[in-house]
Amino acid sequence: MSRTRLPAASGGSPLRAGSPLVDQIITSHLSDPPDGSTLAAGGSSVAVGQLVTVRPDHVYVQDGNAPTIAKLYAEHGFDSVFDPARVSFVFDHSVLVADVEMADRMKEADAFASRLGVDVQSRGRGISHVIAAELGWFTAGSLVLGSDSHTCVGGAFGSLGLGMGASDITAAMVTGTTWLRVPETVTVELTGAPHRSVRPRDVLLTMLNRLGQEPFLYRSVEFAGDWARALSSDSAASLASLGVELGAKCVFIADADGLVPAGTAPQAQRITFDLESVEPVVSVPHLPANTRPLSEVAGTRIDYVFLGSCTNSRLEDLAEAAQAMVGHRVREGVQFVVTPGSIGVYRDAVRSGYVETLMEAGAVVTPPGCGSCVGTQGPLPARGDNVLSTMNRNFRGRMGNPAANIYLASPTVAAMASVLGAIPAPQELP
Amino acid sequence: MTAPQVFRVRRIGGTISTDDIIPARYKHMYTDPAQLAPHLFEAYQPGFVDMLEPGDALVGDEIFGIGSSREQAVTTLLASGLRLVLAPRFGRILFRNCWNLGLPAIEVDTSALPDGARIEVDLRQGEVRCAGAVAVRFGVPPAFLLDMVDRGGLLRVVESSLAREK
Repeated sequence: MSRTRLPAASGGSPLRAGSPLVDQIITSHLSDPPDGSTLAAGGSSVAVGQLVTVRPDHVYVQDGNAPTIAKLYAEHGFDSVFDPARVSFVFDHSVLVADVEMADRMKEADAFASRLGVDVQSRGRGISHVIAAELGWFTAGSLVLGSDSHTCVGGAFGSLGLGMGASDITAAMVTGTTWLRVPETVTVELTGAPHRSVRPRDVLLTMLNRLGQEPFLYRSVEFAGDWARALSSDSAASLASLGVELGAKCVFIADADGLVPAGTAPQAQRITFDLESVEPVVSVPHLPANTRPLSEVAGTRIDYVFLGSCTNSRLEDLAEAAQAMVGHRVREGVQFVVTPGSIGVYRDAVRSGYVETLMEAGAVVTPPGCGSCVGTQGPLPARGDNVLSTMNRNFRGRMGNPAANIYLASPTVAAMASVLGAIPAPQELP
Repeated sequence: MTAPQVFRVRRIGGTISTDDIIPARYKHMYTDPAQLAPHLFEAYQPGFVDMLEPGDALVGDEIFGIGSSREQAVTTLLASGLRLVLAPRFGRILFRNCWNLGLPAIEVDTSALPDGARIEVDLRQGEVRCAGAVAVRFGVPPAFLLDMVDRGGLLRVVESSLAREK
């Protein structure tokens, strides 16, 4: 199966095996260095630790930062973008706004985008990182900046996707450039084959639990091995989305066609991770790294299940949940909320019958977007609620209520939790 | 500014996410840092914000600023009077945001810096001094970052380079 469905971006070069992918992409996007000097002619490679200036192929802004960026533009007297066709505003965190302050901010963001004349992906189109793949911003060799930490999803498609804050994104929008420090590269060689109930998130979060962030912090992490190469686009995107939870600067995931030839780190910077030892896990409150084997936490009461986010909202995720719900119903007193990652995913899930299965089983399917992931739209968990979510983070208060406990797991575990009103045991999975 | 300065240490423990620093919903509600400041560490350590004085240094003991890219975490720290962050490790996006907004973020072993201590920090020598002696040393940050802070942050630098082009 071909993971990268679109040709390499015009500004990028096809990636080759043998040298770190992050170095190749930075080198093909170099601009003048930040100290004001100009590049030496033929200067064709970069060194770890070097500070460089690069020209991104695309810059996208999510709605939580758009109002702040509008304010920064006004404060600094900026009035344009380097290329309106290569700057996109995505309205995903606040789709159905139920707060007057937020409504006012969204109105400011709408007006700002319209004034700049940039590409707008309006409320209901989907999560920036999901549509970035669908619209071809993420392609092998491209360099993409997003005003959201999960821009690292790009690595599933061979794109250097970097999440940044509002000032960084403002500077990039104005100048068409940004500064970077060239990171070290580490390869994670995934060996063996896990049980079929083990999903990409189980692999990555188990690794985080066992090794901590230290081996990955500030680094480019390249995932290699047969299991990685066989991942579908949806699975690879799920794995890549969690790169930031490792502390990585960026991630790349090897694919079957060699478009993303990940695994380039020298011998001293290779980690081997055995997949045979991984089982389905749940991250318990309040850190993603707090993973426990499903068997240890089975039976924990669950009041609210959320299926969505840039980690698990794609067609494959909805299919898994729908298959798990066949012949079952959401338990009385439990709410099960499903938020497709994009309008394309939603449409495909309707056509495939997944939406009908989920609705008939008692789930609530919402418009595409970030959904309940970050407490900017409903439904919010009640005080004392135990939530089981397929998102990427369970920091205290993440869903808008610090008095709720958030557990993280895969779509199948989430679906079964909605049926049982409790975390399922491994033998209760379909 | 990057000249040697004296700070009071305010310690905060644990691995801290930007959600802990400022919950997401507030950044969707407010763009004015003064409106964000009362909510600093609201769920993580209630009452912490009331113990801060202008010019304090925030001192962590694990990884500081993992998670979301929200630079409102940094504007909230600044609006609460903090002028320096010291921690053994940082989340990379928060680290960038700190320097871009003029808040020096220094990777350093903080075990010898007790809460409430007065420390003198010399960014260009890579030294933290306490009671007249060097308490701990750190790698001097790149001149590019120090100069950016002295020039008022990333967007002031962009402003002046645009002015030069005109």
